[in-house]
Amino acid sequence: MSAASQDIALKGSRVGRVVIYLVLVIFMIYYLLPLYVMVTNSLKPLDEIRGGDMLSLPSAWTIEPWRAAWSYAQIGVSPTGLKPFFINSILMVVPAVLLSTILGALNGYVLTKWSFRGSGMVFALLLLACFIPFQIVLIPMARILGILGIAGTTWGLVLVHTVYGLGFTTLFFRNYYAAFPTELVRAAQIDGAGFFQIFWRILVPSSAPIAVVTIIWQFTNVWNDFLFGVSFADFDSIPMTVALNNLVSSSTGVKEYNVHFAGAILAALPTLVVYIVSGRYFVRGLMAGAVKG
Amino acid sequence: MAQLKIESLRKSYGPVEVLKGIDLEIEDGGFLVLVGPSGCGKSTLLNCIAGLEDTTSGDIRIGDRSVAGLHPSKRDIAMVFQSYALYPNMTVEKNISFGMEIRGMPKQEREAAINDVADMLQIRELLKRKPSQLSGGQRQRVAMGRALVRDPQVFLFDEPLSNLDAKLRVDMRTEIKRLHHRMQTTIVYVTHDQIEALTLATKIAVLKDGELQQFGTPDQIYNDPVNMFVADFMGSPSMNLLEATVSETDGALQVSIDGHDGPITLPAPDTRDMRARIGGKVMFGLRPEAFTDPQGADRTSGNVQMRRCFVEVVEPAGSDTFAVVKLGGKSAVARLRADARIAAGEATELAFNMGKAVFFDPDTQERVR
Repeated sequence: MSAASQDIALKGSRVGRVVIYLVLVIFMIYYLLPLYVMVTNSLKPLDEIRGGDMLSLPSAWTIEPWRAAWSYAQIGVSPTGLKPFFINSILMVVPAVLLSTILGALNGYVLTKWSFRGSGMVFALLLLACFIPFQIVLIPMARILGILGIAGTTWGLVLVHTVYGLGFTTLFFRNYYAAFPTELVRAAQIDGAGFFQIFWRILVPSSAPIAVVTIIWQFTNVWNDFLFGVSFADFDSIPMTVALNNLVSSSTGVKEYNVHFAGAILAALPTLVVYIVSGRYFVRGLMAGAVKG
Repeated sequence: MAQLKIESLRKSYGPVEVLKGIDLEIEDGGFLVLVGPSGCGKSTLLNCIAGLEDTTSGDIRIGDRSVAGLHPSKRDIAMVFQSYALYPNMTVEKNISFGMEIRGMPKQEREAAINDVADMLQIRELLKRKPSQLSGGQRQRVAMGRALVRDPQVFLFDEPLSNLDAKLRVDMRTEIKRLHHRMQTTIVYVTHDQIEALTLATKIAVLKDGELQQFGTPDQIYNDPVNMFVADFMGSPSMNLLEATVSETDGALQVSIDGHDGPITLPAPDTRDMRARIGGKVMFGLRPEAFTDPQGADRTSGNVQMRRCFVEVVEPAGSDTFAVVKLGGKSAVARLRADARIAAGEATELAFNMGKAVFFDPDTQERVR
């Protein structure tokens, strides 16, 4: 009796499984198709692309487009490739992500464990920053960068991204620390630990999940930003996204699609790597924040 | 020495006053238990002593110095928290030594202190583990170890046993009492469990709504409550509080309570306050163990009265048998010997130990002596 019903259950689930996997495979192909097109065409000579068949594998494999995109393609006025801009982006992203994450963690710590009169209001205002469209702050921001004397520099972009990221990083850390037992902070106070000792020795070591979430979030946003880059960067601080645009949308000469594809992949690679390395923490961290927050 | 003195302590959150002028004093080496229902302010009071919350007015003195306004770490106290509050990222060893490390104690002294405490609490084999790898009882021990290693003037315990299961709670209770006996350090202990309060304390402070109801030894609190709240809160099952009428017959005072068939009349103490209430009502308080079967009655009491009562329900509980008796329009609980011969739905002879009876004013709820 129970064996029979188990059989039916198994059969039913097996059919269901097949359908689910089939659908999943179809979606996977659908989503991977653009990547496939980009990768294959970046490995073809330009003639083959001009031939019209974007989907076929290269008949003559070449990595020349990748070398061109990285080191000698014409970007703007000089044939530098994307390399210097890639470095610009790294120089911008790393400090911006670290600063906004550390400040967000400190904000979250103060807002939950040292809350003061009006701390709810401060948090609400910080949260508001998440909803302000980028375009609105362009002109005031340009003015402030000018006053500070860091207009057009990488540090100027670091400042912009740090300030803009603070709303989100504070939100993440505040919700995470809200669920962090206050008794631990009190125990540390009785043990004689000060404000920063409690932060570094007690809270930070337990913050790995939310730190990963924040770092991925900030890295992706700052790396992929185009508007601030195009608005505030000078010639020697142009980030990767803007350089890619300059490469792809140049209106002179032959359109080298294979080089463009290679360049686009290069521009997307760092975020891809960050996701693959720490993606599972991302989901886990987001869920933890959501349930406990 | 480390006597603790609290003088007219007040604490308000905005317009809400949670502590309304508390005066307490516990001698050096005493065990003070703060007990009361949730929201009575007992934990706030403890946090004020610890310095984790500011006081609005009043003074707290440990030994002969005032600690009001001092940082928690400067008060020479140690605290055990309800959730244990072990640092999750540190091993047991690190947890215990964290405070010493912060104070900059040399490594050798720290290790010696850890070893002492680990031996005392038998947690030596746990030293390298993280708190997440410990059971509830082990965490409790580590939390106590962290407090012990400070060797403070006063220990503060905030409901330390409430997260443990019933059996472990009893074991740890004994252990805390044993530790106190050995260390002879002043302890302030918060609980909502009146059994814990009675078993551990040398002095009990019963609080309600931020006001001190009664402060005294466990015996005073249990046998000589000052009002109906204390009488009702302490003891399990709680004291029977029955409405009674005071009368005088042949010059002797009596109280009469509605029984199953007709009033039950019992002799009352002849005092001025009781006399003032002749013809009026009082609340007659009798603990279940003073209301028992004739064979179970306390033979040392000179004032045991036998009366016929109607038993509604019989609840055998192994060590005792509880009988629910209809008295004064309410259900009163009598505590009988385990093998008392008694049946539900019958009237039977029960003993009232009037030496233990107390009386209260039904309006003010204060004791009538």
